[in-house]
Amino acid sequence: MREVLEGSQAVAEAARLARVKVVSAYPITPQTHIVEELAKFCSDGSLDGKFICVESEHSAMASVIGAQSGGVRSFTASSSHGLALMHEMLHWASAARLPIVMAEVNRALGPGWNLWVDQTDSLAQRDTGWIQLYCADGQEAFDTTILAYRLAEIVNLPVMVVLDAFFLSHTYEPVDIPTQAEVDKYLPPYEPKFLMDTKDAYTLNTVAPPNVYMEMRRSIQMAMEAAPEVYEKIEDEFYEQFGRRYGLAEEYRCEDADTVLVMAGTAASTARVAIDNLREKGEKVGLLRIRMFRPFPVNALRKSLEKAKKVAVLDRNCSFGAGGIFAQELKAALYGSGPNPPKLYSYITGLGGRDVTVDTIGTMYAMTRDREEPASESLWLGLNEEMLKS
Amino acid sequence: MTNERFDAMHISLLIPKSSSYTTKNKTGSWSFMRPRYQEKTAPCSARCPCGQDIPRIEMLVSRGGLEAAWRTILAENPLPGTCGRVCFHPCEEACNRGEFDAPVSINALERFLDDAARDQSFSEDNSKAPPKGKRVAIVGSGPASLSAAYFLARLGYECEIFEAGEAPGGVLRGGIPSYRLPNATLDREIRRIEGLGVTIHYSAPVSPEFIASARSCFDAVFLGCGHGKPTALGIPGEELALDGLEFLNKSKNGSLSASIGSALVIGGGNSAIDVARSLLRSGTSATIVYRRRRDDMPAFSHEIARAVEEGVKIVELSAPAAITRKGKILELTVRKMRPTEIGADGRMRVVPIEGQTEILAADAIYSAVGASAAEAWMLPPQNPEVLHLSHSAALWNCPAGIPLLYGGDPVNEEESVADAIASGKQAAIALDVFFTKGQASVEAEIIRCKVGDGTSLSMEIYLGGARQSRANKVVRFEDLNDDYFVLSERQRGASVPAEVSVRSFAEIESCLDEAGAAKQAERCFNCGICNDCDNCRTYCPEVAVFAARAARGGNWTEDAGVDREVNVDYCKGCGVCVTECPRCAMVIEEQQS
Repeated sequence: MREVLEGSQAVAEAARLARVKVVSAYPITPQTHIVEELAKFCSDGSLDGKFICVESEHSAMASVIGAQSGGVRSFTASSSHGLALMHEMLHWASAARLPIVMAEVNRALGPGWNLWVDQTDSLAQRDTGWIQLYCADGQEAFDTTILAYRLAEIVNLPVMVVLDAFFLSHTYEPVDIPTQAEVDKYLPPYEPKFLMDTKDAYTLNTVAPPNVYMEMRRSIQMAMEAAPEVYEKIEDEFYEQFGRRYGLAEEYRCEDADTVLVMAGTAASTARVAIDNLREKGEKVGLLRIRMFRPFPVNALRKSLEKAKKVAVLDRNCSFGAGGIFAQELKAALYGSGPNPPKLYSYITGLGGRDVTVDTIGTMYAMTRDREEPASESLWLGLNEEMLKS
Repeated sequence: MTNERFDAMHISLLIPKSSSYTTKNKTGSWSFMRPRYQEKTAPCSARCPCGQDIPRIEMLVSRGGLEAAWRTILAENPLPGTCGRVCFHPCEEACNRGEFDAPVSINALERFLDDAARDQSFSEDNSKAPPKGKRVAIVGSGPASLSAAYFLARLGYECEIFEAGEAPGGVLRGGIPSYRLPNATLDREIRRIEGLGVTIHYSAPVSPEFIASARSCFDAVFLGCGHGKPTALGIPGEELALDGLEFLNKSKNGSLSASIGSALVIGGGNSAIDVARSLLRSGTSATIVYRRRRDDMPAFSHEIARAVEEGVKIVELSAPAAITRKGKILELTVRKMRPTEIGADGRMRVVPIEGQTEILAADAIYSAVGASAAEAWMLPPQNPEVLHLSHSAALWNCPAGIPLLYGGDPVNEEESVADAIASGKQAAIALDVFFTKGQASVEAEIIRCKVGDGTSLSMEIYLGGARQSRANKVVRFEDLNDDYFVLSERQRGASVPAEVSVRSFAEIESCLDEAGAAKQAERCFNCGICNDCDNCRTYCPEVAVFAARAARGGNWTEDAGVDREVNVDYCKGCGVCVTECPRCAMVIEEQQS
């Protein structure tokens, strides 16, 4: 049934329909609506689950690690500083191979204290062994959460469903919410491949000396490598049942594009409008919206960009001292992809919630078109240079 | 849909997992801290003059162990029926729950247990130590003497009480009106003490000569004579005033006097309140005349409030100056006073307002300004050899040749029933130490028996009971983990409305019922003692806390907490157990290498 929901509510609905048994979270704007909604579900009985209140995000992740180790589906959500505080437990969840699903709402880190969208928080967790899926609208947030459980439970890795602060988390849109029976049909009951069980007792997460540790790390990497293929298969099934699909990365008017703009999150919706405008003026430009960032779907991205001459990446993040993170990753992916890889132009903009407008995208495209060679570093768009003079 | 189709992909899953016994890994070797069970002292116990084990009593009541709770009181206090009704319950002022919502109704629960013991015929622990072969003469039968007799009898002494009047109880029988303490309650308490073999001689006033020759029959004498002589007003016409204490005794044990119209009661202590309220019950309007402010009255504030509710008027800041007769009417001239500053004793000083007097008229005037010892020999002599303890005094080598001990109001700082009981207990311990270990050990033994940081003593500790393992540290509210407590309402037994209670001498407050008592007892935090809440075991990440009884499948018993232990082979010293203990019954310390 189509309902008008906030992005946050769409995610909460998905967790409810996934029949999670344990939710543990600590509130932080802009994520709070998600877990507030789930707390309500737990208390009114519409979700047969337990909400564990904790004193920090570190404990929230520890709680769901415990619950998932006990063999039940679990959920948490966080943002920004909360996610940063979870860092240690993020490593634990993946190395313990627990298929936990978390919603992460992209928000800037302080100081300067800032509640608005910025991708640095989730991207800073790229090495923790979590699969990361970036969403651009409420329906996608709902669908991705359901897909995330399916994917996580097949490859035994945790999945982070990433949403932009406010632009997605707090925006109401029509979202098609399937019935419980429909979701049950798609998402089978959780069957843990291992669990803490007093009838078959063993110790989980024991000491791993040098003679086994490396193999365990390799095993995580192998599961990560399998994830894109698994994802495509489960998304096929999803498409069969629900008629929607998104891909590892979503192409828009890329078929004959000389220049492809690359980004993740809600800025892509704005980019579509900019691209339509540019197309009307005869510019051969397309859009590639990255959905899966971990594992980085190198083959799929190479394929999407094989015909492009120029690639311009918009990063709402910065790895200080290096530049835009999506740009770096994509540059590495394209290296050695063929005899004439596209030239890669890197732009940073929209940090801390600053608007990325159709004009911003237009500027970015014009700068890319007009420069023969890309700059060696990321270029920042829309800065007030006056402020930086002091 | 199912995930089976993905099995063919053989997705790698190599996790750290071991089926070898984890007991091999003695994680305790990593530890440099060690938690242990260390029960501590609850503030109520420390503040109770009798040192009652209140957290344990309430724990037992909350679990339905009423008889065990009753016996726990009797270990420290022979007069719970009395204290449950008239005690000024400083325990409740000290109660940590007061900082959370409202104090536990400790006093009402004590009364509940007394009524339960009566109604359910609980068996009392009448056990006594083997006879010591010594006899003690006890002078007077007020609370101090009854307490001394009770504890000495249980310690193996033969005790004989000498009472000048015709009935036992002293101030309890003659000075506290029935609406606060019925004689039937007192009679049960006295039967308990007689049941230990204590003989009470009536109409047997004691004289200095008796003491001088006591040696022929007794090995020691305890003097608990109380304050029998009313304090003089020291004003012209004072012979026209009636004695309030005598009035109280008559109205309780004689016939109720008829209304005398109106009366003035001079004084501000509990006796003045009792006189005024008893007068009201005989149909006489009563006005209390007090030289300081109402707030400065030494009477218990709840008694003052109730008196006012019943219709007693209070004229404050009025110092009696003279009494004169005018026909059938008596006139009391008072000097009006004004407050000045707080004195060294913490009370407000008052001084006369120059030239301001007032005349109050009534059909009768009662004096209730206090009392003192009737005879000088009833007090410890001015003698450097007298050992002055907090609640008693002892003269080991007196001219009579046997130890003389002094207890009760004359030697107590606070004149209360509970302090009188404490006095008898302290004297009993002191005398027993004197006889068994010698004079030199008395003070050290008294210190050893202390409950917490005050002057209260525990007989259980003296006798080497389990309580002696508790630390003297008094648990404060900030020592508790109040995450585990929920707000709940404090209740006492229901009270008859003032307009009804003032018509008779029937008891005002009724007893809590069993369910209500259990609910009130559950409010007790059980500060400092283990009540088997199991938090330590539940939260121990190493499963290193063992509760042997729990393992046996046992439910609660009277020995809560005693078989809990930390298995040091696996305890990593994280301290979670100590932090999560709601009641501060554990400590964590650096390991001694």
